[in-house]
Amino acid sequence: MRPRGIALPQHFLSHYGRQLGTLAGLMAMVIVLWALTPHFLTISNLLNIAEQATIIAIIAVGMTFVIITGGIDLSVGSVLAFSGVVMASTLQLEVPLPLALLVGLGVGLLCGLVNGMLITVGRLPPFIATLGMMSVARGAALMFTEGRPISGFSENFRSLATGEVLRIPTPVLIMIAVYIMAHFVLRRTKLGRYTYAIGGNEEAALLSGINVRFYKSMVYGLAGMLAGLAAILLTARLNSAQPIAGMNYELDAIAATVIGGTSLLGGEGTVVGTLIGALIMAVLRNGLNLLGVSSFIQQVVIGSVIILAVLIDMALKKRGK
Amino acid sequence: MKKGLILILLGILSISFLSCQRGVEQTSGAPRIALVLKTANNPFFIDMQKGAEEAAKKLGVNLVVQAAEREVDVEKQMQIIENLIQAKVAALCVTPSGSREIVPAIEKANRAGIPVVIVDTRVDPKTMSESKGKIATFIGSDNYEGGKLAGEFIAKKLNGKGKVAVLEGIPGHETGDSRLKGFREAIKATPGIEIVASQTANWERDQGFNVFQNILQSHPEIQAVFACSDLMALGAVEAIAAAKKTGQITVVGFDAANEARDAVLKGTMDATVAQSPAEMGALAVENAYRVIKGEPVKAEFVVPIKLITKENAASK
Repeated sequence: MRPRGIALPQHFLSHYGRQLGTLAGLMAMVIVLWALTPHFLTISNLLNIAEQATIIAIIAVGMTFVIITGGIDLSVGSVLAFSGVVMASTLQLEVPLPLALLVGLGVGLLCGLVNGMLITVGRLPPFIATLGMMSVARGAALMFTEGRPISGFSENFRSLATGEVLRIPTPVLIMIAVYIMAHFVLRRTKLGRYTYAIGGNEEAALLSGINVRFYKSMVYGLAGMLAGLAAILLTARLNSAQPIAGMNYELDAIAATVIGGTSLLGGEGTVVGTLIGALIMAVLRNGLNLLGVSSFIQQVVIGSVIILAVLIDMALKKRGK
Repeated sequence: MKKGLILILLGILSISFLSCQRGVEQTSGAPRIALVLKTANNPFFIDMQKGAEEAAKKLGVNLVVQAAEREVDVEKQMQIIENLIQAKVAALCVTPSGSREIVPAIEKANRAGIPVVIVDTRVDPKTMSESKGKIATFIGSDNYEGGKLAGEFIAKKLNGKGKVAVLEGIPGHETGDSRLKGFREAIKATPGIEIVASQTANWERDQGFNVFQNILQSHPEIQAVFACSDLMALGAVEAIAAAKKTGQITVVGFDAANEARDAVLKGTMDATVAQSPAEMGALAVENAYRVIKGEPVKAEFVVPIKLITKENAASK
């Protein structure tokens, strides 16, 4: 376990060295795009990119926790849709706004906790448990709405997506707050340290007296709750909650997480890296749109970047050992 | 190693840059018009893109075509529109992935002073009036009328008596919803005909196959199927072949894609409703161009539709 206290520069470098590599990649992309199009490096476009990154970035925080424990969560996209439609229908009952938001978060949390129980108590592999939840939550969302989107909300609610403070869009502020909290939790709390311990060696964690069941379930619950938060922002952004929303978002979140240097084998990773990973994906999509690249080529480019980032990450790890 | 990463990323970006140079010629002074499709891998939208490209060439307009990876992904479509607003295109032509979900994106374009031409799928009028969003014009087919044509064809073909199934599009898409409404209206006018199953296959071919296969399991007596798009109809054709019922079930699709025309000629499909996606694409670019130049445009263009059967399937 890491000692508390002020981090020395050397320590900082050894811990964040890999993130610096990813950050350098992001910077390189920014420079290239800046050279290619005058529309890229403007304040309004950078804020636009940050706003576009928020949904995936927030889901990816939960994904980072889950992957650090050595697990995976394929259900977040569907959980997003389900919490979104349930919250939307609550909103339409004209209940107080905070209550509806709590419903959105609560549905996500509940789905996540069910995942956690299936994995810890039911001893299902995370892949299978969350694959099942992916289908269950999607089906539940479709049943709940009979397949139709729920739309039209109050200005108050929509301001969660449309509002801004000092030109910075509210969703970006929420995203930053989530990352600061997640960073703190991961680095400075029991939950965070146990998350690493479980991923590093579950057996050892169990033997050293960590309540693995409890903490693992909490991690999946957190991933679900963050999917619920993403649902709130997405619904406000589109002024509509769709039962088919969030399809494949789990894959984007996993991509952001692994680009950010989190190992799929568990035991290591940082949310800072994940944020950079999510920004890389958003910058890439934005840049390719600005350049007018055909959507087919875009998919090839995005896929290549994911593969390369992980290849380089693995090479760096080998060198470090 | 860090240098390696930078170099590789630079490489990827320059390759993608080189392969798309056509899209970047902003210096030429020609106005840049963007066409945002629901998807770039459906024959209907490919035809629309071709029509738009031809019109752009004629007018000397710089056309950028973009689409999300998945037709259902309204958020990605919104991101594309936001990015094109940042790229300061002169006008946006959009086929909305969601009739209501598109409205916030229209508002953003309005705020940036970029005119929006809506193509193919109508924007939800209620959401639009609540948000005070504005579009330059709408270009599309009369989908209600098309659905009605399909319904009347099936009613006639079954001699006013029988059981039919429907494959719906993605719920909430105005195009599919209007076709469905028109179809139901026509069927209601024929009391002997009953819709025994109506399910969505999300505009996709493989889902058309699976969903219709399941419908056939529960309703083997079905005599006709109306699919709200040709891709789903072609999926149903395969399901019918797998059940060894080819020729026994009347299949009617929508869009008159080339493959559907061939199927009508071969007799595996009975009819399809023809829209003119290429004409829509061309009209979209032409009208966007007019708006940019400050010329007045009509509030709405209805592109004609017609029923394609064995008699007229060959002529295009």
